[in-house]
Amino acid sequence: MNPASSGLYLSSAGSYPRVGDAFEFQVLRRAIAGLDRGERTMADVLDAENEMTRRAIADQVNAGLEVITDGQIRWYDPVSHLAGKLENVRIKGLLRFFDTNSYFRQPVLAGKPARKAPLLVNEFSFARNALGHLPTPGDKAGKLSVKPVLTGPYTLAKLSLAEPSENGSAGSMASLEARAMAYSEAIAQEVGVLAQMGADMIQIDEPAALKYPEDWPIFAKSLAPLVKARDAASESGRKAELALYTYFHDSAPVYEKLVELPVDIVGLDFTYNPKLVDMISAAGSPKALGLGLVDGRNTRLEEPAQIARQLERLLPKIQGGRAYLGTSSGLEYLPRERAFAKLALLGKVRNALYG
Amino acid sequence: MSRAKLESLGLKLPLFPTTSVGSFPKPDYLVKARAEFSKDKITEDQLRDLERKATAFWIETQEKLGVDVLVDGEMYRGDMVAYFAQRLPGFTQGGLVRSYGNRFYHKPIITGEVTWPGPITVDWWKYAQGLTKKPVKGMLTGAYTVMDWSFNEHYPDRRATALALADVIRKEVEALIAAGCKIIQIDEPALSVRPEELAIAIEAMDATTKGLRAYFITHACYGAFEHIYPGMLEMGVDNFDLEMSNSDLDLLELFRRHPFTKDISFGVVDVHSHTQEDASAVRKRVEQALTIIPKEQIWIDPDCGLKTRTVDEAIAKLRACVAAAQAFRN
Repeated sequence: MNPASSGLYLSSAGSYPRVGDAFEFQVLRRAIAGLDRGERTMADVLDAENEMTRRAIADQVNAGLEVITDGQIRWYDPVSHLAGKLENVRIKGLLRFFDTNSYFRQPVLAGKPARKAPLLVNEFSFARNALGHLPTPGDKAGKLSVKPVLTGPYTLAKLSLAEPSENGSAGSMASLEARAMAYSEAIAQEVGVLAQMGADMIQIDEPAALKYPEDWPIFAKSLAPLVKARDAASESGRKAELALYTYFHDSAPVYEKLVELPVDIVGLDFTYNPKLVDMISAAGSPKALGLGLVDGRNTRLEEPAQIARQLERLLPKIQGGRAYLGTSSGLEYLPRERAFAKLALLGKVRNALYG
Repeated sequence: MSRAKLESLGLKLPLFPTTSVGSFPKPDYLVKARAEFSKDKITEDQLRDLERKATAFWIETQEKLGVDVLVDGEMYRGDMVAYFAQRLPGFTQGGLVRSYGNRFYHKPIITGEVTWPGPITVDWWKYAQGLTKKPVKGMLTGAYTVMDWSFNEHYPDRRATALALADVIRKEVEALIAAGCKIIQIDEPALSVRPEELAIAIEAMDATTKGLRAYFITHACYGAFEHIYPGMLEMGVDNFDLEMSNSDLDLLELFRRHPFTKDISFGVVDVHSHTQEDASAVRKRVEQALTIIPKEQIWIDPDCGLKTRTVDEAIAKLRACVAAAQAFRN
């Protein structure tokens, strides 16, 4: 099969390292440290964030990716970056982010988290502009796109606490469902705006959905406002696809339910279950898949031919034949040079597949 | 039960023994010296002299404050995993990855069989213990955490990696005991990250400590303990050193439902806040602990290592711990 006519795209799964070991890759780290010491300004930090975002985008283009993110360079963590911008949310102490050895700051809800200002609009605009300023590889003209990434409402809710009310009773956000639906309303507004801005794919990260399958009804319900926002944008002529990405746990137990959700693409982490390829090769998928076949959290570089063999089994089983090859999770957990090597590996896999 | 063990080791500690989790902030002269050493502007001997000076400062400071079980403050260490990885054959230093916010560390890569090259921490323990008559803890990082916080390009899976590392760390434990160390803390902050792997963490700790004569503490923090409690109490240690304040003492509810059967080093001050907790807030935390856990089981310390605070902030937080302990002893 010719790669140009295939439905296999190379895609970022989200984050990218914000520092590297080389001096020039430490500009953001130095700027933030300088700000903490009172020697630099917030404008310096923004400049550094812009520079590292441009570098993250350039790395993805140079590695041959078609679906690109801003690397989430500006994110303090996957939770507080969004929740901290919502009204009625205060940010509390550190907690470990799933099974990673990185931490997030936990939101505490004093009331319904409300979106009073854009969450990612400026970041998406900047990334799209930065991509536009890069030379486009000859065979990629018109094929590159920027994918904004939002942490999903259920994961935000699961990792948040509710503030008790002043009289000591449980507050209005005490139940997980109340928190999830409140976050969902806010995130759905952002989905609508991003779609209107021209995002043709919007990634929703829901790692908690795998880890806490007992909450499935709440998780599924919390997607509804996002789907509605997507559909409303579509009716107004702005077609955007929702890509639901899950990771950091085995997706096999809920796979069949995942691919029945009313999203357009389901992203899967293949590193937690060596039999997941077999399972999906047998069961197939009624929709496009994000295939996290390359381990985004370990430095060991996979053999391209081995991943290509897995793809050969999977691709014919995906309805429409459309898939997004990527890493199992965002790449901020790897050293920068190895993160780039993993991106480059994606291109090698595609070459191994199509010759 | 563990008090009897302490006494059998010749250690008679007061009620509510005070300690700290391990790291203290490095004085400015040492921060500068470490930077200069990394640029080859000073020699290793010059750096060691300053590390000894800083260690002596912290031992003296803890004694003056009235801390009961001391630590050397880890003036010679950076990251708690990377320090060991840099000294263990089989590891290669990896590039920088983020811990949180603007904090990064060199995450090690296991590229070959890990072996014990001989004592790593024993000379520093001997030096610190030689400065005081109070017990100084031996400070190690546990096999499960070293595994979890390293990239692995050698061993076939996580369990095999953890058990291989446990063999190595056990040799360091044996060396500390042979040198006279009686209280050894083996940190496992990754303990709760994969609840389904608790059995591996317990197996690795048992392989590290089983049959060895010392009082063992393990420190864990910032985790989802609700998924591993009470199973974690099966671990082969005498004392769990837990971050309690940062999570508003949420864990007490778990302990209410299932008794905490080991000793606990109860974190009473938040190490990630510049704010100094007032004495009444700290006392209240101990009071809450006492509603659930018998007083004979409670040690008092900060939530976690204090290395991210300033020297003055760290001293103030230690002072708050000691004041709370003394108030309850009286």
